[in-house]
Amino acid sequence: MMRFGFGASLRHLRIQQVLAIAAVGTAVALPVVLISVGGGVATHELNSLENAGYQLVVSASGEHGITDAHNLSRQILALDSVTAASPVLSVAIDSFLPGGGPSPVLAEGVIPDQFTPTLGPAESGLFPSPLPLGDPTDAVHFDNGTYAGAATNDVLVSSPLAQADGIATGSTLWLGPTTNRSQATAYNVTGTFGVPLSALGPTGAFAIVLPLSNLQVMAGLAAPSPSAPHDAADTIEVAVTGAAAADPTALARIRGEVQRLVPYYFVGSLDAEAEQLQSASGVLTGFYLALSSVALTIGLLFLALVLVRRVESDRRSIGIRRALGLPRRWIAREIVADGLALGLIGSVLGLAGGYVIVAVMAAWGTGGVQLAAQWAVFDPTTLAAIVVGVAFLSLVASGVATRAALRVDITEALR
Amino acid sequence: MTAVRPPTIELRGVSRTYRAGHPEAVPALREVDWSIAPGEFVSVEGPSGCGKTTLLNLLGLLDAPTEGEVRWDGAPVGSRSDRERARLRLEGVGFIFQRFYLLPTLTALENVELPMRALRVPRAERTRRAEELLTEVGLAGKQRAFPHQLSGGEEQRVAVARALSNRPGLLLADEPTGELDSGNAAAILALLERLRADRGATLVLVTHNPEVAGRAGRHVTMRDGRIATDTRGA
Repeated sequence: MMRFGFGASLRHLRIQQVLAIAAVGTAVALPVVLISVGGGVATHELNSLENAGYQLVVSASGEHGITDAHNLSRQILALDSVTAASPVLSVAIDSFLPGGGPSPVLAEGVIPDQFTPTLGPAESGLFPSPLPLGDPTDAVHFDNGTYAGAATNDVLVSSPLAQADGIATGSTLWLGPTTNRSQATAYNVTGTFGVPLSALGPTGAFAIVLPLSNLQVMAGLAAPSPSAPHDAADTIEVAVTGAAAADPTALARIRGEVQRLVPYYFVGSLDAEAEQLQSASGVLTGFYLALSSVALTIGLLFLALVLVRRVESDRRSIGIRRALGLPRRWIAREIVADGLALGLIGSVLGLAGGYVIVAVMAAWGTGGVQLAAQWAVFDPTTLAAIVVGVAFLSLVASGVATRAALRVDITEALR
Repeated sequence: MTAVRPPTIELRGVSRTYRAGHPEAVPALREVDWSIAPGEFVSVEGPSGCGKTTLLNLLGLLDAPTEGEVRWDGAPVGSRSDRERARLRLEGVGFIFQRFYLLPTLTALENVELPMRALRVPRAERTRRAEELLTEVGLAGKQRAFPHQLSGGEEQRVAVARALSNRPGLLLADEPTGELDSGNAAAILALLERLRADRGATLVLVTHNPEVAGRAGRHVTMRDGRIATDTRGA
């Protein structure tokens, strides 16, 4: 109901106004959640790429698709300006505590002295250096591809797993490829490492790190076999010197040289990945904005309908004002003020609602939803742009209602 | 804020026909030729539907004739813009509607202040003047009351106070005492007459009450959209 100004009109909130505020609030909360969470995930992934300790990645299609990982790593390491070539094999296996049943863990097989240099600044502090896995080059057990050498059977356990299962450094942990304990092998726990949730994914909190050759044998990915690759790895992460990393031309040259060594695998650079991610993030942001625009348009259409409906129900009041000689701009100003007030109240509630939704997702969500919500970024500029957009659309909605109000015939309204 | 000098109002061959909602045109006024001099007190009587309210609406520039013209001080006002006519109403016309037409979301004081707000009267002055007017109509203790908290008679008195707030030169009243007891009716009439005497305002009053009509200096009766009689003298 119109009064002198919107402050007074709020005293007479009616159900339509509450619904209009709810519609605008919902329309605002949606983009807040989408853009903050989506943008946060993209930013996090970009940061991860930019903070990685390696610059190139060799990968192959299919699971554990790289064969001859030890030998390829040595050849890559021999290239000029390459400081580390770290094959990584990730396999889900089972662990057995004394007297306990099987418990799934994510195992990462690495060559210790190659793995450490590929850790970025954020990750390097999470792992002991050097990795206490016995054989730094993993050459003894690998023994030129025969796997006949003595295995160290050392393992590092993630802090969450050690805490959950009461595993201490110096204790024994049985590890096997299946839930059948008879296939398990005893490993010496030589240390622990912290696992940031982002490093190994939401299920990676229960993780172990062990020599690559040990994991290859355990997973049946060591010796040549018709049904599985031999000396397998998922990726080979390649670190180069600081000078080469900062020089796109040098990095491209090294990438080319690596590619010539492994013409049948894909060699990617993190810079290219970052560009792709940024591009994908831009597309996603555009999609979010399009979706948000639809939501905002629907919300503001509802607001326009409510304002027009109010003009209809206030025809007599409008007629009285005009009969008394109040200028048209007064009536227009009051409707615009009301529309803006409803839009801005809805915006504030929508912003708060979006923030609460993200907070609830971060606190009580599951898996990736929780993780994504924890990475959410509330960009003040974006949020301000949403509010400005709502204010503009509220003006448009008010304009529609104002037009209807100024068409009210005085004598008809007072009849 | 000073009172606006009342205009000489002339109706020349004025007809008003309504079409909305009717299959055929309904004539409310038919070829009326009439004039009012500044400061006159005119009572208008007649049966329901004879065109009294339409006449008031045309005199107060709320409506425009379908034929003929309305002149203020010799100048036709029908051709003026909506904005100009609104300004004339705001500055020079006070309306007392039959059904009061108070704004339901404003208090009695705010209703009376409304025309003065539009005229940009300073807050302190308009509040003082609105309080004075409400006191004059016997509603000193009802300033903060909303219309739904008032009786019909009290609403009528707020409507009178609002009509007087802009010190109009032309006061148009449609049954201003219809909802009042004889005591309050007399007080309101006295107030309206004092306004006319003090400022020379023109007062056109539609009424069915012979006593009220008897206080006017000029008596008009209407029938079928025409002025049937127009006599002077109490």
